[in-house]
Amino acid sequence: MSGAKRLALTDRIGVAAIYAIGFLSLALLVAPSLIVVAISFDTRSYVSFPPVGFTFDWYVKLFATPELIRAMWVSLKVGLIVTGLCLALGVPTAIACVRGRFKGRQALSVFVLFPHMVPGIVLGIAILFAGATIDARPSIGLQSLAVACFILAVMIRIVMARLMRLDVALEEASANLGATRLQTFRHVVLPLLLPAIWAGAAFTFIEGFDNISVAIFTHGHRDRPLPVELMSLVQNDNTPMVAAVSAAQIALSVVILGVVSSTLGLEKLND
Amino acid sequence: MLDVLARFANGRGFWPAIPAVAFLTVLMVIPLVLLLSFGFSDIVVARGVIVSQDFTLDHLTKILGDRLYLLTFQRSINLSLSVTALCLIFGFPVAYLYLRSGTFARRAILIAVIAPLLTSGIVRTYAWIVILGGQRGIVNRTLLDLGLIDAPLRILNTHWAVLIGMTQVHLPLMILPLIAVMTRHDKALDEASANLGASRLQTLRHVILPMSVPGIGTGATLVFTLSYTTFVVPQLLGGGNYLNAATMAFEQMVYSLEWSKGAVTSTLLLVTCIFFIGLFTWASQAATRWIRQEGVA
Repeated sequence: MSGAKRLALTDRIGVAAIYAIGFLSLALLVAPSLIVVAISFDTRSYVSFPPVGFTFDWYVKLFATPELIRAMWVSLKVGLIVTGLCLALGVPTAIACVRGRFKGRQALSVFVLFPHMVPGIVLGIAILFAGATIDARPSIGLQSLAVACFILAVMIRIVMARLMRLDVALEEASANLGATRLQTFRHVVLPLLLPAIWAGAAFTFIEGFDNISVAIFTHGHRDRPLPVELMSLVQNDNTPMVAAVSAAQIALSVVILGVVSSTLGLEKLND
Repeated sequence: MLDVLARFANGRGFWPAIPAVAFLTVLMVIPLVLLLSFGFSDIVVARGVIVSQDFTLDHLTKILGDRLYLLTFQRSINLSLSVTALCLIFGFPVAYLYLRSGTFARRAILIAVIAPLLTSGIVRTYAWIVILGGQRGIVNRTLLDLGLIDAPLRILNTHWAVLIGMTQVHLPLMILPLIAVMTRHDKALDEASANLGASRLQTLRHVILPMSVPGIGTGATLVFTLSYTTFVVPQLLGGGNYLNAATMAFEQMVYSLEWSKGAVTSTLLLVTCIFFIGLFTWASQAATRWIRQEGVA
């Protein structure tokens, strides 16, 4: 075999091996969720794959379990409060970080993006302690504030990224044409920012709904959110109902994925 | 709401950020300072309210002198480094596939990578209980049916289950930064290399790999810090007998209610975590500089 041919062969084998690992990884990313969805329809009362029958019983049972319904409401509330807080606090902050002309603008960006470097478990414990010193007991409110603090940086970063790409000339043109600041914001800046705001809202909502690292230390004792309920369910229940709860959560994440991909676009999200 | 936002809109001042700064000060800065101070005090809890604190170095000296803590933090660091390495090994080929794919395939890959990130970590960990679990688990049944093993392997509730589950759960966090850096560079560089007669492997080795270094840095930082601080995967797949720093803090706070110890453990967790973020950032920048100096060779 000539040298060139051997080189071509090694090249082909090497690239094929990399592709094979790539496809394996993609399969490993997707398969577990599909297995969970399949199991949630199984007729047997224990968890095993592949399922042998088809039934909606576990979903019926799930919606007949008051603790789970309550947990979903708690998580929904927290998700909405977190989204509201992050919108109200995050969007103006992103504007100041990008359009601001003041000393310490860099420092401001570092400060507001820092919380995402603090591990959720540490932030959760710290807020639990801080609450305990002023008699602010764990509750839906405390949990919402804590998770919002944890995830605010994500909202700020998504909006900042979009703002940096917007041409300032558009805003100047609007002002030159006699638009007031309010008009410029409503008719120029806001429409251009909306995709980022929607994507940020989707992310902060799912974090508020799903977060466990912060939530487990700050949730109210009677208001257990879904992730906390699910964590103990996974440890104590061996029926496919756990798979049904999980499948419901997977369905929610598909909806959120749809929102993000139809607003900001998945490609832009990762730039 | 809109009016308030509008007044912020074209502002050049600091004040639109004031609410967020106040919010983060109250909910992050003050609690973290308190947490730090609690490591140096006796915490007395009466009906959920912390009432008395006396300055003491007892907890800190006890913990720093305790071998259990040393071993636990070492275990955490080993686990997180292994997970980071595995994520790189399994994640890099996905990013390479993405780089080589057309529009449609790229979209499919992005969905496969981002969808798990939007799914609860508990759900994804639960899937691994099903796959790795006892005799009825997928892995054991397949191996038994194929006659490769005589008795089911014990994977769940061991170090291996934690390693496998954590790698899969954190894999997207390595892939996304890699895709971002790889696609940022124009395809032209890659094509130029191919036109100059370089094989695909040579292009990978001398063009794509060097330019991916910042992405590897970002991905490794994300994967390491999350692996280092999550208690969900070890708690569920380690079966309660796998102790790392995060599960230790979790158990001290939630189960045994040793708040003073929990304060010290979580402070150590934060400090070491920030140290590793610094280390990873430094290493990534040093590697990038070195590659630039050496040239793309």
